[in-house]
Amino acid sequence: MIQLESYLIISAIVFVLGIFTILYKKNAVGILMGVELILNSVNLNFIAFARYIDTYINGQLVAIFIIILAASEAAVALAIILNMYRDRRSVDVTKMDEMKN
Amino acid sequence: MNNLNSLQYFLPELFLSASILIIIIVDLLLKKDKKIITAYLSVLAVLVAFFLAYRQYNYAFTSLFEGMIVLDSFAVYFKVLTALSTIIVIFISMPAFRRHSEYYILLLVVTLGMFLMVEVNDLLMIIIAMEMVGIISYVLAGFNKFNMKSNEASLKYVLYGAASTGVMAFGFSYIYGLTGHTNLFAIQQAIVGHSLQPLPVFIAFVMVVAGLGYKIAMVPFHFWVPDVYEGAPTPITAFLSVGPKAAGIALFIRFLITVVAHPASQTTFIQNVQIQAPLLLAVLAVVTMTLGNVSALGQKNIKRMLGYSAIAHVGYMMMALVVFNTRGFTAIMFYMVVYMFMNFGAFWVVQSMTPHLGSEDISAYKGLGYRHPLTAVAMAVFMLSLTGIPPFAGFIGKVYLFAAIIKQNWYTLAVIGVINGVISLYYYAYVIKVMFLDRDEEIKAISVPLYDRVLLWLLLIPVLALGVYWGPLIDLAHNSIGFFFGN
Amino acid sequence: MIKLALFIWLLPLAAFVINILIGKRLPRKGDWLSVGAIGISFILSLIMLYRVLVDYDPNFLVQGSVPWIDLGVLKLNMGLYLDNLAVIIVTAVSTVSFLVHVYSIGYMEGDPLYNRFFAYLSLFSFSMLGLVMWDNLFGIYMMWELVGICSYLLIGFYFTKDSAANAGKKAFIVNRVGDFGFLIGLLIVISTVGSFNLTTIHQAVGQGVLHGGLLTAAGILLFAGAVGKSAQFPLHVWLPDAMEGPTPVSALIHAATMVAAGVYLMARLNFMLTFDAMLVVAYVGGFTSLFAATIAITQNDIKRVLAYSTISQLGYMIMAMGVGAYVAGFFHLVTHAMFKAGLFLGSGSVIHAMHHSMEKTGIHGDPNDMRQMGGFRKKMPYTHITFVIFSLALSGIPFFSGFLSKDAILGGTLAFAMSQSNPIHYLLPTFGFVAAIITAFYMFRLIINTFYGKPKNESLFKHIHESPKVMTIPLMALAFLSLYFIYTIPSISPAGPEGGWFTHLIERPISAVATQLGHPVLFIPEHTEHAAHVNGMLISIIFALTGILLAYLFYYWKKIDVEKFTQRIKPLYALSFNKYYMDELYQATVVSGLLLWNQMLAWFDLHVIDGIVNGSAWVVRNFSFMDGWIDKYIVDGLVNLVANMTLAFGKSVRKIETGQIQNYILGAVLGAFFIIILTMI
Repeated sequence: MIQLESYLIISAIVFVLGIFTILYKKNAVGILMGVELILNSVNLNFIAFARYIDTYINGQLVAIFIIILAASEAAVALAIILNMYRDRRSVDVTKMDEMKN
Repeated sequence: MNNLNSLQYFLPELFLSASILIIIIVDLLLKKDKKIITAYLSVLAVLVAFFLAYRQYNYAFTSLFEGMIVLDSFAVYFKVLTALSTIIVIFISMPAFRRHSEYYILLLVVTLGMFLMVEVNDLLMIIIAMEMVGIISYVLAGFNKFNMKSNEASLKYVLYGAASTGVMAFGFSYIYGLTGHTNLFAIQQAIVGHSLQPLPVFIAFVMVVAGLGYKIAMVPFHFWVPDVYEGAPTPITAFLSVGPKAAGIALFIRFLITVVAHPASQTTFIQNVQIQAPLLLAVLAVVTMTLGNVSALGQKNIKRMLGYSAIAHVGYMMMALVVFNTRGFTAIMFYMVVYMFMNFGAFWVVQSMTPHLGSEDISAYKGLGYRHPLTAVAMAVFMLSLTGIPPFAGFIGKVYLFAAIIKQNWYTLAVIGVINGVISLYYYAYVIKVMFLDRDEEIKAISVPLYDRVLLWLLLIPVLALGVYWGPLIDLAHNSIGFFFGN
Repeated sequence: MIKLALFIWLLPLAAFVINILIGKRLPRKGDWLSVGAIGISFILSLIMLYRVLVDYDPNFLVQGSVPWIDLGVLKLNMGLYLDNLAVIIVTAVSTVSFLVHVYSIGYMEGDPLYNRFFAYLSLFSFSMLGLVMWDNLFGIYMMWELVGICSYLLIGFYFTKDSAANAGKKAFIVNRVGDFGFLIGLLIVISTVGSFNLTTIHQAVGQGVLHGGLLTAAGILLFAGAVGKSAQFPLHVWLPDAMEGPTPVSALIHAATMVAAGVYLMARLNFMLTFDAMLVVAYVGGFTSLFAATIAITQNDIKRVLAYSTISQLGYMIMAMGVGAYVAGFFHLVTHAMFKAGLFLGSGSVIHAMHHSMEKTGIHGDPNDMRQMGGFRKKMPYTHITFVIFSLALSGIPFFSGFLSKDAILGGTLAFAMSQSNPIHYLLPTFGFVAAIITAFYMFRLIINTFYGKPKNESLFKHIHESPKVMTIPLMALAFLSLYFIYTIPSISPAGPEGGWFTHLIERPISAVATQLGHPVLFIPEHTEHAAHVNGMLISIIFALTGILLAYLFYYWKKIDVEKFTQRIKPLYALSFNKYYMDELYQATVVSGLLLWNQMLAWFDLHVIDGIVNGSAWVVRNFSFMDGWIDKYIVDGLVNLVANMTLAFGKSVRKIETGQIQNYILGAVLGAFFIIILTMI
């Protein structure tokens, strides 16, 4: 039987990977994928906890909602990125520094 | 209370949802030059929601939808406040967005999200409500599709926001894992009942604070603020600095009270998880206001300057969070209303003047005192009020904030707050100086439409009036918070 | 009653707000709004007065208040205090204000700032009504400043004219002096009594919380405010210049209501005046009444004569407050409000006619100058008759209201002098009686010069016309209110106000000082009072008639050559004509000193603000200019240093906003780690 710890370790690794993706990808879509990673690590956590700790299924419900939210968030973000691409012909976030200081 | 019975207490939100759907349909039937009608309908809808929410004021504390949502006077206070901010923002937007009915519909959705945000009592609902406000805000920030700055603001906002909520959700998942509950009350019971490992609790707590701090623009989670405020359409900038922020602060307070605070000791943080929360909050408040104020110095773009000043004001409000008692919360709630009027006023001046001045730079305001005195005087009043100079409303708000912390002997914090007030005077007064002391050789008078002037007065009057008579409002705020402390 | 009063009070405010916002766009530029609002206030105030008259209770009092400011240590209420005094003065104010509003429709016609004028009038009515109804000194002080602001705005209404703008400034500065005293007085009261509420202060003084020298000082300091506002010597200099404002304003603010606020204040605070304070009040008032009257004799500007006359009459009222003739002083306030407003409106009617005539004939000149007038009697019959009625009232001729009140004051003063052991106090009635002769004299000099004799400027005279009805009807109304029986009903004896409603309703309040000391502040036996009144009445009638007779001798029958006579008393004439050189004296000392101070302040402001903005470059650049100001350099330098350091700090802190979204997220992550580390250790 797989222990709760295993899930937690996996999810922690996915979370950290997500953070690093966000920090080091230059492509805006790549960053978005980092966000998805984070959200999936959250889902993993919730489901694992729901299985091992909670007597109800609250955690699984949360996970379902987060999947939906992630989808809508991605939709909006992709629309914005597309818009950006139309204007600049690039989705490189390091070039977006018209506003600073 | 079960789901079916809860509906009767859910009228404002139900009404808003219904009107959003209706307005979408009405929008389809409207001709292109008649789209402004949706704006009026939206005002009407929010107004009705406003009154419906206000009618709930005297309801006893109720737990709705199996504990997902709680209805208390604290929530109602913020619902009324956020509804009012939406109404004002619609009026501010109307001259600029005459053909974009979807803009107003999106604003309504944000309003619905804010309503939820101030009354949530469950981790799941917190995520949903915050995303509801957040996702729409990303779209609104980029609403000027062909404006590079607007695009950039929107993209930065969405990436930053998505990352922050992701981190917050991760924090929630740990809290759920540690306590086995998603309901905030149950979580509180669990934290009090079991002796938990302090480290995971604390890491979870910090992650949640990161998400909430992003929403209210608290340092060090404030980075998105200046860019988004500068790039977003001015009405949206104004809106973000008031409505969602107020909802965020309400959520922050609720989270602190129900999760972090000990139910038995009503005045201080829990001590069973060894966190020096007051000290931490005090440090964050100091850093927030100082960073906001010194960064605002020397800004050239007035919206960016106001963005930094918005960060500073969050710092002021967090000061009163430190003491964690009725007095402090009352001060914050009062300040939020005052801040709404003066900040909207300042942004409205920016919005209504930008077409005339041709730029959002502070230097463009040169000689405005001679070109259109009323606007310039109003702007000066807003600036002075933001600084906290009597007899304007901002001063009264600050007095209550400072009174709350001095009462609990946080003298150092108060002194730093006052020093920050002095620093802020530099950049606020600079705007006044530019408007009145600098002038061009020839004065080109600006003619401002009646609509603009009336709206200006409507925002100016509360700033003046609350500066001399604020008793009822402070009583209202006081009564609203009373429930948490059992009086 | 409270609701009624609130309506009376707030209606003009509503009119002001609407008018200042959108007055220009309203039909008729919104004058109907202001007039309507004050008209309703007027009617409501009549209802209020009617209720008081039905009650007929000298101790009538309605109070109502709501909490306003609560800062823990300081609790302030916002409330109304309606006793007979307040009700009567509210009625008087709304009456005059309403009539002046109506009159202004005609007088200000065609003015480019027509709507703003009415807006200001409304604001003034609001603040004046608030001033007399508010139940605590703090509110009174606020309204006091607000009426002041209206006054400055309206004095400088023709701001394109330098003299008007300067007059506005002068009024402002001179009033600051008095108000400063007022403020200190308030501070004394709040620091000892701990409340601004009139009733509370009354009790506290009665219990001796505030006593002795401090009480006297508080009384005198509060009186200083009254000296400024009511234009008493030595702060009277602003009022004559205030005549630069439009004439309806002079009538409303600078004759009938605002300037009487000082008297009102003294009436309200009468309970806390010690004997010494009362003496100061009495002598300042008495001296002013004579002093101003002597200046009025020689002035040629029709409005200035009236202005000095106002100062003199205010002196009477203040003197009455000082000698304990409380009822008489307040009575004179009301009667004076009516006939002096009438006089100003009458003079406005004349000026209006002169102005139009000058425009038609193309003659450039001062429409206020009496030397250009004469013989207007036939052309302006209504103005003439009403003007004569007002003058008779002012001179204190029986059957007119002024006689009743003035006689009461003179009698009271005489009684005071007779009851005191020190004969020096006979100075006070002497001031009063001499001023009475002079008053009658200059008023009839004015009438004869304006309405009788031959026209001095034929071409102007041709185009003189009676003013429109909207202007003459208020005059007639005021003339009616200057008749004696209005104030003596139900008695119709012209000899005195005794037995009338007025003296029944107004009673001298119980002096808190007397309660504290255990004996009356000043004791005037009944028989002395009676004797003084009979004597005073006789003397004052004789003196008034003498004055009128003299005026006729000089100016109508020309039995005495004015030119020769002035030659003979030239030094005296010059002294009076030049207003005792008071303006010059102030110019040489106070004003130039103030200007110097202002320049210094302006210099300081300019440099400090610039210094902050421009940074330390300023110090370097200006180094050579500032010999001997080393201290200031160091101070400024420090200020600039701090400012620059802050700016530099801001600049470097702003660097963390790189514009790179990934840096932002990294910043947030590091921030979160930092928080964790910070709290865990």
